[in-house]
Formats: sequence, C-alpha cells, structure tokens
Amino acid sequence: MLRTQEYFLNFGPQHPSTHGVFQIILTLDGERIVKAEPVCGYLHRGIEKLAESRTYTQVIPYTDRMDYLAAMLQNLGYVQAVEKMMGIEVPERAEYLRVISGELSRLTSHVLATGVYALDIGGFTGFLLCFREREKMMDLLEELTGSRMTLSYARIGGVADDAPEGWLDKLDKLMDEMPGYIEEYNGLITGNEIFQARTKFVGQLKPETAVNYSLSGPVLRASGVNYDLRKAKPYGIYDRFDFEVPLGENGDCFDRFYCRVLEMEQSVKIIKQAIEQIKEVDGPVMAKVPKVLKPPKGEVYHEIETSKGIIGYYVVSDGSNKPYRVHVRRPSFINLGYLDEMLKGYLIADVVAILGSIDIVLGEVDC
Amino acid sequence: MFGKGLIKGLQITWKEFWAQKLTVQYPDEQHPVPERFHGRFILDVDKCIACSLCANACPNKVITIKKQKVGKKQFMTDYIMNIQYCLFCGLCVESCNKDALHFSQDFNMNQYFYRDLPLVLVQREAPAEPVDEEAPAAKAGDDKKAKAKPKPKAKTDKPAEPAADSEVAAGKAPDKEGQ
Repeated sequence: MLRTQEYFLNFGPQHPSTHGVFQIILTLDGERIVKAEPVCGYLHRGIEKLAESRTYTQVIPYTDRMDYLAAMLQNLGYVQAVEKMMGIEVPERAEYLRVISGELSRLTSHVLATGVYALDIGGFTGFLLCFREREKMMDLLEELTGSRMTLSYARIGGVADDAPEGWLDKLDKLMDEMPGYIEEYNGLITGNEIFQARTKFVGQLKPETAVNYSLSGPVLRASGVNYDLRKAKPYGIYDRFDFEVPLGENGDCFDRFYCRVLEMEQSVKIIKQAIEQIKEVDGPVMAKVPKVLKPPKGEVYHEIETSKGIIGYYVVSDGSNKPYRVHVRRPSFINLGYLDEMLKGYLIADVVAILGSIDIVLGEVDC
Repeated sequence: MFGKGLIKGLQITWKEFWAQKLTVQYPDEQHPVPERFHGRFILDVDKCIACSLCANACPNKVITIKKQKVGKKQFMTDYIMNIQYCLFCGLCVESCNKDALHFSQDFNMNQYFYRDLPLVLVQREAPAEPVDEEAPAAKAGDDKKAKAKPKPKAKTDKPAEPAADSEVAAGKAPDKEGQ
C-alpha cells in the first residue's frame, strides 16, 4: 500500500495575503490541510501596557493603531467606556458627528475588505475600483479630522472639532453616489462566476459554532445569527436610525463577503439619515469636562460594534489620572480562534479565501 | 446562464477604462491638502509663553522645552520636537491656551540623516541680563547650543564640533551618529 507523509508549510509571516504579519503553520497531506496553527504576535506593541503610563486622553491615539482601517470606531469604544465610568453626557451634535465619522470609517473598512478579498481571489480590477471610493472617503475623513487613517477624532466628552463648512454636503453627495458604486462591485466581483466558484460553500461555519466560539461581526452574521450591537444594545444614538441587519444563509466565504457589501448599503443609509438629522442640531461638540480627568475608582466594560465585530473596552480606574488597566476585546483576534477548524479538509488554495473572508487586521490581532 | 457575470464584469471594466483618470503624477502635480491636515508643526514664538502644556499633553513625550530665567522672566531657549516619535494626534495643538502651536500643510518631513530628524522650532540664546557681570559665566553652557544650531553646516566643520557639543539639547544628541 502506498503511504504518504504529512509535511509542513509556513504560510507567512511575509505573505501578502495574510494582510500583515501573520503566520499559519500548515500541516498538509498532499494538498489537503490536516492542521493549521495560527501564530500571531509579530505586530505586538504592548498597547495595553502603554496605556498604563498615559493619561485617559492620551490613550486615544493608541486605540487608533489597533484597527487602523476603522480608527474612529476604536476611538469611540474607548471614549464611551471612559464616559460611562465618569457619567459624562455628550452633546447632541457630537453624537451625530460620531455616528457619521464612525459609519464612514466602517465604510472605508468594508470597501477595503471587499476590494482586498477580490485581490485575494485573483481579481485585480475590483481591488482598484474599491480603492477609488476608499480614497474619496479618506479625503473626507482627512478634511474632518486632519488624518487619513489614524484619526484620533473622538475625545472624552465629544469630538475634537466640528465639521468644516460644506463638509456635510460633500459627504451627502458621495453617499448619493455610493449605491451606484456598490452596484459596480456587485457586477464586477459578486456576480463573477469564478469568484463564486472559489468562495461558495467554502469554509462553512454553523451558527451554533459561531456563537460558541464567540465570533462576532460579519463573520457571525453571515452564519445567520442576527446579532448586531447597534440593534441589540444600541449605544450612543443608534436607536434613532432606521436600518437593517444583513444576514447570510450558508455561513460560507461568499456570505461573509456579501454580508459586508450589504452592510455598506446600510451604513450609507445611516449616514444619510444622520446628515438629515444633524442639520437641526446645533451647539457645542464638546461637553464640559475637567482638564485633568480623574474617574472615580471602579471598573467599566463597554462594547460597540466595529467593522470587524464586537470590540470591548475594559477600563479599570484607581482614582488617579491614569488608567490602572485598559484591556481590549479585539474582534479580529477572537474571530481567528476558529481558523484551524475552518481550514481543516480544504485545499491549500482555499486558505487565502478563508483567511481573507474573516477580514482580520493584524494591528488589532496583536494589539 | 453561465458566464453572464463575467460578461457584466467585462462591461464594467470597459466602461471604467474610458472613465476620467483619478491618479495624478505626484511630484509634478499634487492633490490639494485640506486645511486641518496634520503636517509639520509651526510655533508662533511671540505667542508662546513656554508653559509646557503641550509637552505634558503629548502621549509620547515628543516635545522638549528648555527655559532659562532672565531677570524675573522665563525665557524659552529650546523648543525641539522629536518628530520621529510623533503620532500626529493633535493633542498638543489642542492643549495650547495661547494658540501658538499649529499644524501646517507641509507633509514632507523626510531627512537624509537621523540627526536632522528632530524638528527644531526654537533654539536661541537667552538675552543678556541687565546685570552684566554674571552673564558670560551663566551663558557658557548656552553658547554650545548656539554653536550647534546651523545644522546643515555641522557636516562641514565636523572636526571642531564633536568635542564642543558633547551633551547638548536632547534633540541634538544623535549628532554623532552620522559621522
């Protein structure tokens, strides 16, 4: 009888499809994957430790650097956690600006995920088209905040600055064009038969397993579990907007991809409503907070829905002006937990498809 | 029908092929930089009162301020930013009470040598005090800073320099590295 031998293959850390520095040690039997061992930590910067020697405000720029693709949402989670601890009431206009910039951040992240996924599968044009829109959105974010990716826009008690004149109209115009662009992505990427053949029924995830592994975000919703924190436990002013939670059916790579495309449509819808509503709201964008923030002793856990899933900030205060501990529940890291099981039995070419569909960002995985 | 999606994709690609080009040939033309852009820092020296609020607001301890007492007033002699550690978060600009520190739209902060990286916004000698006798002795340490100031030149008159600026301002420390 012919006996075959298993062998190892290092996927990464220097591999463009790992979206950063991430290694998977694959055990292969021919072309089939027997075991996949993810190795992370190549981008570890010790942000949680750094936070211990920074004041509460000074932690904000570090949160940017976790999920740098949707930085505003990371800022938002942290500042809302501190606000919850101190009982700060945020002005109305600031809340709207947070929603607008947050959803715009989500859009940039999803557009990138869509484009890069097309690139992973082998379609280059889709990638370029997605980056075209991403550039437009980042230009808008740059006009609002001064930075393109690491925004540091949220502040404890509000946002850094009001929207510049004419900015909302520009955003409104882009949001009017967005459905057309999304249709283009669908025509170019989603409808493509080769793309579908590569992604449909690959890396299927059952809803129970997804819940048991505490996965979140589009990865969870693609399996058909309706759990979006913006709907389930509305934070900020999300209860004022009318939007749907797109769900998948099969929980495969295609559904995870398509869930993001559908979520983009919902984000556009939310931004359009927010632009309508913010016109009637005037006033400051910053609450009256003391210069030196000293939250009372205690701890708080606050979670929000980012583009990758649920991000949770656990902040402990010892009464001084520096946080005693800031721990972050990073969705990308937790979504990776099921990677081994998901890859088992698939061909080596599917590794890229499955890993890309989880949409990780290594800054967040390694923190 | 199989292949319909492919044809539709090709149609979109064909349409985009004739669409307006969005890329620009960078060094020749540039996209406009927005007003709020976080670029190189500008310090309005006349407005600055050397209160060190910006240095304390910085998460990464980028800003070094040195002051000296001249008569009864504090006089700022150095304002150096170790720009290589800067996060460009804008907390320092926000913290300024006197509206002295600003961002500019200049994003080109590349340097050829590591020693040229620190952004020296102010480096000057404290003015002579009204009491003249003490001045030369007190200023001895300060002269060194002044000497090291014209940085590009430092390369040319290197032999004389290293001994003189053995331990100068924090921003100047990497001076020896480029030798």
